[in-house]
Amino acid sequence: MIVRIANVLAISETIKRIVLEAADGSVLPAAAPGAHIMLNIPGPGRVWKNAYSLVSSGSAYEIIVRRVVHSRGGSAWLHDHAEIGEKIEISLPANLFPIARTAQKHLLLSAGIGITPFLAYVPVLRAQEKKFEWHHCCKLVDAPAFAAVFPPGREARLHTGRNSLNLETLLERQKLNTHLYVCGPAEFMDAAVAMSKKLGWPGAKIHTESFGGATGGAPFSVKLAKSNVTVDVGPEESLLEALENAGLNPPSLCRGGACGECELPVLAGTLDHHDHFLSEAQRQSGTSMMTCVSRAKTPELVLDF
Amino acid sequence: MSKSRPVYQPFRIDPAGRAHLLVTDLSHPTEVENIETWVVHVVAPGIQAQGYSPRAFRSVADLLLTLTSRLAREPVGFRLYAVGTEPFLWDVNNVARAAGLGNGEIFLTHAGSLKRRVYCSHCKTMNEDVTENIVKCRGCGANLFVRDHFSRRLAAYMGVAVDAEVPGEIPQAEVIYP
Repeated sequence: MIVRIANVLAISETIKRIVLEAADGSVLPAAAPGAHIMLNIPGPGRVWKNAYSLVSSGSAYEIIVRRVVHSRGGSAWLHDHAEIGEKIEISLPANLFPIARTAQKHLLLSAGIGITPFLAYVPVLRAQEKKFEWHHCCKLVDAPAFAAVFPPGREARLHTGRNSLNLETLLERQKLNTHLYVCGPAEFMDAAVAMSKKLGWPGAKIHTESFGGATGGAPFSVKLAKSNVTVDVGPEESLLEALENAGLNPPSLCRGGACGECELPVLAGTLDHHDHFLSEAQRQSGTSMMTCVSRAKTPELVLDF
Repeated sequence: MSKSRPVYQPFRIDPAGRAHLLVTDLSHPTEVENIETWVVHVVAPGIQAQGYSPRAFRSVADLLLTLTSRLAREPVGFRLYAVGTEPFLWDVNNVARAAGLGNGEIFLTHAGSLKRRVYCSHCKTMNEDVTENIVKCRGCGANLFVRDHFSRRLAAYMGVAVDAEVPGEIPQAEVIYP
């Protein structure tokens, strides 16, 4: 789907809001809160495929992009080259982080750029008169930027101090009718999920969303048993991207290790798992991996693909 | 075996929970642990022997009413276990679901009588304590065949007139849900 950049607004030096509209003037397919789109970002000699949560719901697509300090290229391009009128290819919205229908209260926890899906949640929760509570954590330096996009109201709180949000106290006192949603950097998500599990939250009530897990690492080569080719994975690209760049068509959806769509069976090699999908037992078995975020610890990997 | 018939797990305390409550409609439950226990009618001697006293309720309705207000106050980490007959399990389940409990927080273990609650699909009357395969509806008097079709929402099996094709032709009822 080709869209046109309708507006670019700088929220801070490192955070931009980008508004997209259909290039042919048609109405974009409606997306529910929690949905994300994948942008095909043109780069020198390659295309970056980055997933961004929609911060709007309905048929207006708005994303918020933070310039990653060690950007592999995608966020830097959006910051330096994305201009009004520019055309860009995106995927249809997919939603791996929807609002749970059966919840009577919604507890939203976010940190940093993990704020984005909840910006789409809040107007819908308010319109449906649902009970909710949102705690957003960020660095002091980012507080003005996040405050500028944060919705007004008592339900939403911004935490800037290092320890100003006490996860244990917050998670411990929630009633049985509450669902938990977590979005943010991996350390924040791991801490929130570990604390909720410790306090007895059932897995069915913990909803998580993470993007940007593909940070690169040591290069390795992957032998594809079925396709009968060998692909080199560079230090700056993910295994999934390397397979795509080699002209293959591996499965993928969230590109953040959350959805499980890109799972491929592993025949040989030691794995470096970075996903949130596989269970501990599945990781130990070493028989499958998420190509979007996970890598190899050995110089060579053999996949049944 | 009908697909709508629930499959139950053996009783087991979920170690991930911070607080546990067992509710039962059995007078002599064998699935007993050293956790808070609510019973109906009788204080079973078997339970007292465990060294703690269960709370007794006059009726299932009374227990369910107290359970509703209890669940509204409980924080997350709570686990509810229902042990007993099928209608009781699903009444407890429905109260718990309405209070916001979900999978991983409610555990149902079928024990005791196989008696069924039968919903008359003609007059909507609930017929309790049905042990035979054919029951005369207390509402409309129709002779209902007790189907294996279970409704979780109604916590009941569906009953349909057994002599709909040939009125008056009613097979001999047999006790098959003792």
